[in-house]
Amino acid sequence: MSIPFLSLALDGPQLVELLADDAAIRRWDELPSAFSVLGVERVDGSGAREATVDASVAAAILAGRTTRARFLVAASPTRDHPYNLARRVASLGHLSRGRSGVIFGDHDPYAPAGDPWTTTDVGFTRGEQIADALCAVRALEQSWPYESVVGDLETGIFVQSNLIRHVDHDGLHRTAGPLTVPEPPTGASVTAWLATDRVPAIPGDETDLVIGAGGAVRIVDADAAEAWSGEASDGGGLLLRGRPGSTLAELLDAAESLAGRTRPVGDGPLRQVLDLSVPSRPAVGRAAFPQPQPHAVL
Amino acid sequence: MTERRSGHVILGINALVLGYLPASWQSPELTPGSFVDPAYWENIGRTAERGTLDAVFLADIPALGDPAHDANPAHMEPTVNWSYVAGVTDRLGVVATASTTFNDPFDLAERWLSFDHVTRGRAAWNIVTSRGAAPARNFGFGDVPPRDDRYDRAAEFVDVVRALWDSAVTGDRVHHRGEYFEIDGRLSVPPFADSAPVLFQAGGSAKGRELAARVADGVFAAELTRDQAVEHYRQVKRRAVEHGRSPDSVKIVPGLLTTIGSTEEEARRRNDDLHDRGPASYSIEWLSQSMGIDAGKLDLDAPFPEEVLAAPDDLQTFTGSVGFRESIVAQIRRTNPTVREYLKQTRYTGSGHAGFVGTPEQLADRIEDWFHAGAVDGFNLQPDVLVDGLQVIVDEVVPILRKRGLYRHEYETDTLRGHFEAAAASAPLW
Repeated sequence: MSIPFLSLALDGPQLVELLADDAAIRRWDELPSAFSVLGVERVDGSGAREATVDASVAAAILAGRTTRARFLVAASPTRDHPYNLARRVASLGHLSRGRSGVIFGDHDPYAPAGDPWTTTDVGFTRGEQIADALCAVRALEQSWPYESVVGDLETGIFVQSNLIRHVDHDGLHRTAGPLTVPEPPTGASVTAWLATDRVPAIPGDETDLVIGAGGAVRIVDADAAEAWSGEASDGGGLLLRGRPGSTLAELLDAAESLAGRTRPVGDGPLRQVLDLSVPSRPAVGRAAFPQPQPHAVL
Repeated sequence: MTERRSGHVILGINALVLGYLPASWQSPELTPGSFVDPAYWENIGRTAERGTLDAVFLADIPALGDPAHDANPAHMEPTVNWSYVAGVTDRLGVVATASTTFNDPFDLAERWLSFDHVTRGRAAWNIVTSRGAAPARNFGFGDVPPRDDRYDRAAEFVDVVRALWDSAVTGDRVHHRGEYFEIDGRLSVPPFADSAPVLFQAGGSAKGRELAARVADGVFAAELTRDQAVEHYRQVKRRAVEHGRSPDSVKIVPGLLTTIGSTEEEARRRNDDLHDRGPASYSIEWLSQSMGIDAGKLDLDAPFPEEVLAAPDDLQTFTGSVGFRESIVAQIRRTNPTVREYLKQTRYTGSGHAGFVGTPEQLADRIEDWFHAGAVDGFNLQPDVLVDGLQVIVDEVVPILRKRGLYRHEYETDTLRGHFEAAAASAPLW
């Protein structure tokens, strides 16, 4: 049995605290943890808090203010269309130099009921909706290969755009693609599923990491962290989560006290520190653009 | 004779990723991956802040145009792009564009209030309705709704977003039952200083201007001639007054494409060189998109046929930009050039947005002239190549404007709303 890595779950109020406190950001950035889930209450079924912020913009500003911290952005595929979400995820992948990923789970407790983007009136489960969004986001993020950006001064060709593909995803959500952003050079972003009894993970190639019920990462509440005996599933990790109402300082204290008993992880992209291989790109798909020609003068 | 105004102009930079000219990626200061490189964006943000500029803009459309010869279609998502830049700056405003056709109002309201929270009051939403089939297909639609529908949806969308932003201050739930949306909820995002993001409106159709007059704090206008700009300036602000608003509360900030050199001749050479290194089809495609025609079918050596210049029969299904089309037609009617002459002339005068090619001194003159003429409250400058064009604006144009008392020496305010409130009062409207 190997020693697990450490990761943190920040809820809305803790994230708001972090954003307002430069010293806390430095302390958080120095933790030897694998990643932090930003906005965990949006995916773990624990209910709305008194304050929250959108995790993707929070992650983007934190990417500019940190050098080591890695994060999974809590997302919900109901009011957020997969095309918009995939753009933010891929953009974060570039701007954080691969330190970011996305996590799905239970219903977002802040969002009013309604699925404005789904293509069917037939009932579907939350898990089915997540699986479909994961598929769409992954396909979109891979629709524009980074290596097609050549910048050839001789021919005037900036991108070998004939290598860019439509995704033509037609499931619970529909999107043609391609994305407006190339795949990050570190590969498609890490995708995670926070599994609960209500929303168990559906196995699929597009899910890199399952946290919670049956997953490789076990959830440990901060007030039980002291008593934690050191057991974990093989190769997995711990997600340290405060109880509702606990402060950021309490969470960071608990993380620092656990750090000596967990497996330290070094710097680098999230995919690399979790030892996840870069997902291969599907070979199919309509070419989005014709073969570029050297340009002619007007 | 125009009346002199006191106070300072608003200066924004419309980033257009690497610059407005397709050949901008060929700059020796860039690598092929600069457009998605955090170091590139950090440099842009820090340079703009060194110039005490009011804001940086990103236009956006949620679909990819062919990036074969041009980085301009390759957009990262604007709130993420600018939040990152806000992370490495302190005072610079950040304006992100998003479409009311391809978003959900609750989702957008929550994201933009968060964007304003994390940037500490520096965020703005540039409201667009988006056109074209490509974005529609990315969201599961066959095509976009006709124009009036889009603007009706936009008006309701914006009202829902503003009500939700209010809900974050008051804690009261929003119960909205409208033609396009049903929303029951409230936001739990802490509003920065009990305020909300600045609202920009871009687009020159009648309904677009009406939306601007009713709710916008800023208008990102497209103006080719000073006289037309004065007319639109007065039109929007007078309408704002009719809505019970102060004319100072809506700032008119048109785009201005810039190529700057140490002499006028050097600037023209730079502009010609950048055009020659870009694809020839670029200007033809641009004209086609803006005017809703296939410009490739026009005889390059004949004047524009009257049927191309005449107003489109049906604005509902017109695929171009009403604002851009109007300014382009006005420009063509003044000199009646051949298509080829027009395409070459627009290198120096701009097309859709006005163009400027000249020295820093001349650019300062242009800004000063339009400001005192009551045509603008400031400009959204669009450098040909952003990485060095921005540097010249900051190091050479801004100091001239400061000497003339038209721009601040240091930031005096911390938020984008604060920057706007500190800018010059409105020009006379009558």
